[in-house]
Amino acid sequence: MLNRRHFLALTAAGLSLRPAFAADWAAIEAEAKGQTVYFNAWAGSEQVNGYIAWAGEEAKKRFGITVEHVKITDTAEVVKRVRDEVVAGKADGSVDLVWINGENFRTMKTEKLLFGPFSESLPNYQFVDVEGKATVTQDFSESVDSLEAPWGMAQLTFFADGAKVAEPPLSMAALTRFAEANPGRVTYPAPPEFHGTTFIKQMLLEAVINPSMFYKPGDGAIFSTVRAVWESMLDGLHKNCWREGKQFPKSQADVTQMVADGELLIGFTFNPNEPANLVAAGRLPPTTIAWQHKKGTIGNTHFVAIPMNAKAKAAAQVFANFLLSPEAQARKNDIKLWGDPTVLALSKLSPEEQQAFAATAAPGSVTLPGPTLLEPHASWVPLVEQAWLERYGKG
Amino acid sequence: MLRQLAALPLFLIFLLPLALSLALILPTIAEAAAFKALLNHPQLWGAAGLTLFTGLISTVLSLICALMIIAGRIDKPPQAGAMLALPHLSLAIGLSLLIMPAGLLARIIALPFGWTSPPMWATTQDRYGLALTAALVLKETPFLVWAFASLLNRDDLRQAFRGQSAVARSLGRGPASVFLRIIAPQLLNRTVWPLVAVLAYSLTVVDMAIVIGPTQPPTLAQIIWTDLNDAEPAIEARGAAGVLVLSTVILLLLWVVGLSVRLGRPYSRKWLSGPPDTGHRKISFLTQTWGLWGLFYSAIVILLLFQSASGLWPFPDLLPESLTFSAWEKLLSDGRPLLTSFLLALGTAMTALAASVVWFEGMRPSGDKIMLWLAAFLLCLPSLLIGLGQYRLFLALGITGTALAMFLAHVLPVVAYVFIMLQGPYRGFDQRWQTTAAGLGQRRVAFLRQIKWPMLKAPILAAFAVGFAVSIAQYVPAQLAAAGRYSTLPIEAVTLSSGGNRALVAAYGAALMALPLIVFLLAQWLSRPRWRAR
Repeated sequence: MLNRRHFLALTAAGLSLRPAFAADWAAIEAEAKGQTVYFNAWAGSEQVNGYIAWAGEEAKKRFGITVEHVKITDTAEVVKRVRDEVVAGKADGSVDLVWINGENFRTMKTEKLLFGPFSESLPNYQFVDVEGKATVTQDFSESVDSLEAPWGMAQLTFFADGAKVAEPPLSMAALTRFAEANPGRVTYPAPPEFHGTTFIKQMLLEAVINPSMFYKPGDGAIFSTVRAVWESMLDGLHKNCWREGKQFPKSQADVTQMVADGELLIGFTFNPNEPANLVAAGRLPPTTIAWQHKKGTIGNTHFVAIPMNAKAKAAAQVFANFLLSPEAQARKNDIKLWGDPTVLALSKLSPEEQQAFAATAAPGSVTLPGPTLLEPHASWVPLVEQAWLERYGKG
Repeated sequence: MLRQLAALPLFLIFLLPLALSLALILPTIAEAAAFKALLNHPQLWGAAGLTLFTGLISTVLSLICALMIIAGRIDKPPQAGAMLALPHLSLAIGLSLLIMPAGLLARIIALPFGWTSPPMWATTQDRYGLALTAALVLKETPFLVWAFASLLNRDDLRQAFRGQSAVARSLGRGPASVFLRIIAPQLLNRTVWPLVAVLAYSLTVVDMAIVIGPTQPPTLAQIIWTDLNDAEPAIEARGAAGVLVLSTVILLLLWVVGLSVRLGRPYSRKWLSGPPDTGHRKISFLTQTWGLWGLFYSAIVILLLFQSASGLWPFPDLLPESLTFSAWEKLLSDGRPLLTSFLLALGTAMTALAASVVWFEGMRPSGDKIMLWLAAFLLCLPSLLIGLGQYRLFLALGITGTALAMFLAHVLPVVAYVFIMLQGPYRGFDQRWQTTAAGLGQRRVAFLRQIKWPMLKAPILAAFAVGFAVSIAQYVPAQLAAAGRYSTLPIEAVTLSSGGNRALVAAYGAALMALPLIVFLLAQWLSRPRWRAR
């Protein structure tokens, strides 16, 4: 088994890594046989659950690994569970693999709760689009350091019923004008709900001409230079928001449901294919349209990581590697099944493998894509959340 | 010696685990910095005001409603058991499906007015928490009615009340006066702890507040819940500080209420023995209100079932575009969570009942106070805090993810409710029956089996049913103790519904009700009085 010290020793010695890994990988696969992977993953979507069930069955057939999907609502639960287990000295932990990114990853990495490095030595990592997708190595401005394996891509994406919204607003300014024309029909979930926080961060990025300042650590003094602009933009939007911006829905799922009901006109999601997926599932009308802002929206990558006290580390790596395989990634990419964009570079795949990713235009797909903006440095999150709560949290 | 042994079962399944859990969690959270952070929380004061408003108003209204309902039906107490089976969460979901801007009521109004999009009503998430208050009143009133009815269904109390009423009436008092001055005080005396449970619940409820309460600011319990769920230790500590503050506020409130009742006693006594009413106020119309409750609960259940089978359902259509059973297929595709929940509920409710009865038979009544306070205290604590304490305990014992941990995690709140429900009726049992039986040379066991327990059948079955329902509804402690090795109905419900699929949410809302409903109906049927004097 590789640990950090071995890894450093190998690179320091300038050894050719691939053959060494190949031998190691066979050993890992052998060790994995018969192990059970307790995969802790958010379970709010039937499509996601269905996909994980499929991957589990394949892992059983191909590698003799049993995968148990531990259904969770919030990854913070898992972070705390692992922390408690480690503090209690429990070596055979209850979590073998966790679906994770951002704040939770940073916490686990800083507190040294993760096993690894491992992800870059997974055989299928060679197909990952390291060059084209900056977020597969930088998770919310935190260096991944091979401690988590990329699984899928996300980008803030807006959607609406095209029958009601003819011209989608392609910027926050346009969204504010849209709300003026349609008072009470736009809103976002209250931060610190993840999507709500992303929304106000997006507002922050669009508040300035050059957002480079947000990619460095922020503090109260730096924030004060942009705070007034940011707040006046939010004020302008809130004036014509749902409930005049005095109340906000609790979750992105609520917003989506309110769009389906017609109570709101515009919703948003982190999975660009979710609108199409919801159309396929009969929860949004077939006239649904999806778009991203012209100058870009915040995007990131989600990963799987192995806690340092995982019981089935070998099987967890084998399963993480399978999730990275072109076959598993293509299936995940399929809008009818899940529609989670791939982390792989199609150019690194064989023509047949590329074929499996060929997108079939489905109702609700993103028609007006925008570039991906990196997440602001993590230190900005408490700043904007606290400021938002002080100004808008009292109703 | 034998007396002390009678405390052993409750000690092992309740007192010891509770004490150890608190000992493991409290020292880690009492940090000065956390209290400072809490004081700096921008929403603290608004949230505190909202919490007190919704909690106090809903408790007072529930009590008034329950007394009004009971007043009209002293001789034939209403059967509230079936309503208790509807979990809090399901009721909140059902109520919001009814009153929200895209809900059924709005759709009914939209048709004649030709609305094409939902109205801008603030019927849920209103800033004063009125919808939350309404949901709490709708849920807690049947609980109090049930607590009163289980007293009125006791043969000894029935006889006593009947005699007292006859005397009072012959002295010229009207039915309202008889109820308010003679029966209500005796009922309230015996239901102090269920009332405490209602108040504590209303002030700490999280799941209902999430569904139907406001966000800016939310209730204190919601702020605590969000903080405790945070992976950042400092934020978690702020949530824990909030727990201590909220618990202190509740204890202070209880103390103030208890004190004012005590101080007011001379005045209330004067009023109780005051001259008869000149007018004979009729109270028969009040019995009608009970029918409304039944109507509302039926509507909620029908709405949940209907929503669970609905596909796309655009506004303002009264019917969904399509019906689908995919939510139910999903729910029933794996029978294990259902079975686990059922076995746990059965096992914990029976254990809690047996342990409580052993306590009552062996311990002096003076010892009940400590159990009652601890049980009420437990109900005041957010389930997340006590769940985390238990989880640390199980971790230290190396039993996370085992059946034993699941049992212990479920049995704690079940004991609290069963003990609170049973203490009043059990201790209120007329001791003269025992004296008479002993005088006739009957042995204690025979007396218990042939006389006491059959006479206390109704409250015993009631406590069992409540315990069963409490077990079925456990989410947080279960989720922590299970460590992903077991799944229960609420674990499935909460995780699957975090995606907001309304059909799935409704299906689980209905499914969570099904098992307790069966148990409550059985309890109700088994506890019907054996004879009904006209």
